[in-house]
Amino acid sequence: MTAHREKCTILENKKIAPGHFVLRMCSPRISKAARPGQFVQVLCSDSFDPLLPRPFSFLTATTKDFSILYQVVGKGTHLLAQAQKGDALWVVGPLGNGFATYFSLRGAPVSKRPGPSLLRPIAVRGNMIFVLIGGGVGIPPLYHLAQHFLKLKPRINPENIQVFLGARTQSLLLCEKDFKKLGIKVEVATEDGSKGAKGYVTKMAEDFVRHKDPRTLRVYACGPTSMLKAVSLISEKYGVRTEVSVEVPMACGFGACLGCAIRVKEKRTKMRGKKGGKNHRFAMACTEGPVFLADQILWD
Amino acid sequence: MGLDLTARIGNVKLKNPVLVASGTFGHGKEFEKFFDLKKLGGIVTKTITIKPRLGNPPVRIVETPSGMLNAIGLQNPGVEKFISDKLPYFRKIGVPIFVSVMGYSVEEFENVVKSLEKEGGIDGYELNLSCPNVAYGGAKMFAHDDTLISQVVSAIRKKTKRTLIAKLGPDVSDIGRMALAAEKAGADAVSLINTFIAMAIDVKTRKPVLANKTGGLSGPCIRPIAVRMIWEVCKKVKVPVMGIGGIMNAHDALEFFIAGASAIQVGTASFMNPAAPMEILEGICDFMRKEKIKSLKEIIGSIKE
Repeated sequence: MTAHREKCTILENKKIAPGHFVLRMCSPRISKAARPGQFVQVLCSDSFDPLLPRPFSFLTATTKDFSILYQVVGKGTHLLAQAQKGDALWVVGPLGNGFATYFSLRGAPVSKRPGPSLLRPIAVRGNMIFVLIGGGVGIPPLYHLAQHFLKLKPRINPENIQVFLGARTQSLLLCEKDFKKLGIKVEVATEDGSKGAKGYVTKMAEDFVRHKDPRTLRVYACGPTSMLKAVSLISEKYGVRTEVSVEVPMACGFGACLGCAIRVKEKRTKMRGKKGGKNHRFAMACTEGPVFLADQILWD
Repeated sequence: MGLDLTARIGNVKLKNPVLVASGTFGHGKEFEKFFDLKKLGGIVTKTITIKPRLGNPPVRIVETPSGMLNAIGLQNPGVEKFISDKLPYFRKIGVPIFVSVMGYSVEEFENVVKSLEKEGGIDGYELNLSCPNVAYGGAKMFAHDDTLISQVVSAIRKKTKRTLIAKLGPDVSDIGRMALAAEKAGADAVSLINTFIAMAIDVKTRKPVLANKTGGLSGPCIRPIAVRMIWEVCKKVKVPVMGIGGIMNAHDALEFFIAGASAIQVGTASFMNPAAPMEILEGICDFMRKEKIKSLKEIIGSIKE
């Protein structure tokens, strides 16, 4: 893993929806190394309050710059929203494993093998459909993934990608237009029914998955934990290979503090610790994740 | 001007006084991409127990004003796996390695050390007497009782000639007495402070934020208390004191040296800046050059009262 620590200059910090901003920063080293589903740790202030950096998935990454899409939720992101073009912030990244984009299209190996993770390379045959399910501020890494898919050689066509987006309300539906600009089919659901179907995006995704041959589907999801849990149930029910990107409280972001634990399946036993130790262990979301195979996670 | 930054802890000579604290440096490898690990004064490993430990369920960490709570629960691969999988990497770095060890009983402490005694490339042990995040089965935390401290330290003293550091916890009324107990029982040094037992509550759910309910408070918010405790302990004991507690930069480190610490350990700072230990070391050198101080020993314990 090639993570860099760098003071990055802000190129743009633009409000794109109520309480949501896109921050674009300059760093050829971090940008070039970034893969979809990976993240950066951003120090939102020079003081010690807030103390810890904040993790954000990539929204885009070029050879020169990268962007993140964040929601203002607390002290750190509030400070971030006030940062101006030309300011510089400490960034560490890219971190984490990212989505598995190690494909074999018609037998030809493409793209790089993901970092240390529970993921295995994907074998892709014929008319695969890549189903991207995003909720709220979990949508950005899926947009990065879609961009990446279209750049792969041999290419994955936009027709082979299906996106489902969910949000509380219309104004918070992120990246819908951006996906459409890539020529990708997008279906949306809002909890209040202000746009698209009323209800949860997972319902819509299930209706889609139900009628397909599971062997032709690959699902990628990022969003609130409740949504990921629902997606995992769907993937289990229909037997679809599914990767989910989780969000958990994190301190260091590179495997030192062991703070961002997530319960995953494990065959080894005889571990001493709370709640026994049978068939589970705690994986670190920052190094083994944030992307996990849905069937690996033991949801609480 | 050549600066003398050396320090001696037990029979280990440190080329500089900046170490990294247990549980904040992973297994070392995580930091190699951020700075040259050879430049460290030494490394204190993540605490190792006799058997592997899963650690606590999430949520394990929460940020608090100028600090954080953690309740990792000593997740570690156990002493056997540590020796086979982790120790070879530490050995290769070429700086003094102190293995942090912990047991639930004097016997468990002894067994961990016994296994490690057979292995080369270990310079000493830091006895973790003060992990706040594990259940002691109704028993007291070792660091909370001077009799327990002397029992563990004297038992381990009999098992090893390697440097022995006792890590003390701050949740006691008389830290000096605890340090004295460790010294009398044969510790070559004491390190302090571990984290404070603390708590955060989610006001909406009215539940503790951490699954373990309580966690250890670390970061710059605890530093002034750490400085006071080191100052107190340095008056009581003759063995070297390693200062720990919210050290974020060279200025903070210097406070600890002036209070009497012979060396320091950088912990939480590494989470916000993985290169913090190096920046702290460089800052100490800058200060010494500016103040025309040739040897670190001129600073240690130089507090004017």
